[in-house]
Amino acid sequence: MYSIETKNLTKKFKEKTAVDGVNLHIKDGELFALLGVNGAGKTTTIKMLSAILLPTDGSITIEGMDMRKEPNKIKEILNISPQETAIAPNLTVRENLEFIAGVYQIRKPTIKINEIIRTFKLEELQKQKAKTLSGGWQRRLSIAMSLINDPKVLFLDEPTLGLDVIARKELWDIIGGLKGKMTTILTTHYMEEAEALSDRIGIMADGRLIAVGTAEELKDMAGTENFEDAFVAIATGKAATTEEGGEQK
Amino acid sequence: MRTMNFARRNFKELIRDPLSLIFAIALPLFLLFIFQQFNIPSDSYKLENFTPGIVVFGFSFITLFTAMLISKDRGTSLLIRLGTSPMRPAEYIAGYMISILPIIILQNILFFVLAIIMGLKASVYIILAILASVVVALPFIALGILIGSVFSEKASSGISSIVIQLVCFTSGMYFPKELIGEAFARVCEILPFESCVNIIKGIANNDMGIISVRNLIVFAAWTIVILIAAVVVFKRKMTSDNK
Repeated sequence: MYSIETKNLTKKFKEKTAVDGVNLHIKDGELFALLGVNGAGKTTTIKMLSAILLPTDGSITIEGMDMRKEPNKIKEILNISPQETAIAPNLTVRENLEFIAGVYQIRKPTIKINEIIRTFKLEELQKQKAKTLSGGWQRRLSIAMSLINDPKVLFLDEPTLGLDVIARKELWDIIGGLKGKMTTILTTHYMEEAEALSDRIGIMADGRLIAVGTAEELKDMAGTENFEDAFVAIATGKAATTEEGGEQK
Repeated sequence: MRTMNFARRNFKELIRDPLSLIFAIALPLFLLFIFQQFNIPSDSYKLENFTPGIVVFGFSFITLFTAMLISKDRGTSLLIRLGTSPMRPAEYIAGYMISILPIIILQNILFFVLAIIMGLKASVYIILAILASVVVALPFIALGILIGSVFSEKASSGISSIVIQLVCFTSGMYFPKELIGEAFARVCEILPFESCVNIIKGIANNDMGIISVRNLIVFAAWTIVILIAAVVVFKRKMTSDNK
């Protein structure tokens, strides 16, 4: 059984097809990166997988549950760190974690919150209002909040966007530490991030999943030495890709 | 449980924004105080008439803050995060509404305490008026949810300012509606604000004759329509914002 499985996943907004027949098979504990240029359909795919946007067509199965039949059960076991930092600005760091623990009705929340505060090195900032944190620490808090319910499936939508190199590397360590513990889908514009962190990478273009593989496999597919060149070649159609419709396993 | 958790968070967000408290409480208190210093020769400014008007004026700021809180939540993607959680739309709406209630009660206690200090006769009916005002505040909170669900943070403050102006001009708190003319008086009767003032005025003064059947029908109709609109639009925006 796959952790995440989609069949012919499609989303249309009026005349525009944002996601076009995507077939995904993501294994339990895998860290899967979804790459693509702006408007490729990454965020729309993530929103459908995280139960906040209904597909126009196709199916989503998460941990064996059908998204159309059991959305509320699925919502109990997944979490997301959205593209924009999704925190309560006037609440302190600890209060943000307490609030989100309440949303997920966490048993023994104090133990869990203390554990997360330690993991994310938030001890000295826990009484500080979230809006006063730097961009890097806000992102860190946003990801910390997404781990409050020990999700089986975690979506990280461009988690390091706009961060300086040090803050980004620190977040890489945290994200890398999640591998194997939960299934993670990561979207990013940073090629080196996808290459360094992911078990496998999917490349989207014009709403379709056009290639899937490890960074090495994608480089071989594109016949390039570095991953960025491979991405450009695949995304612009200059390299041979997987079959039409993005069937992959 | 989730509702109360969400309400606690909303309450903290509101009270930690000092502008909210200044506008929702300090400004109406100031107006209540200052207009009593001028001895204006109009019944509108007698404490028993003007205090209920100030209460409803304070509610118009509740619309503003509710709208800004929701539009801010939409803008910061907090609602996207919560949209992936097991929270249900009814829990959001109830959470927003409950968080406002302590502020409404605090507002009204302070308004009536100041009015009593300045000469309003204290009575048990004032306590009843404070309790009734919680119900009267419902359409104002719902209107805030509606505005905040539709507009951005900046636009929400502008649109809510129109509500504040409408309360000032059409509630009868500053001048009798007949003063401007017949057509204006009809508009005041159709809008809910004059009815809200009359309901609180009637209860606070133990003079139920002030509250007409029209007042009750207009208030109930607006409350139901705005509440339904707020719930429907909020639910739709929870999805459409995620496009």
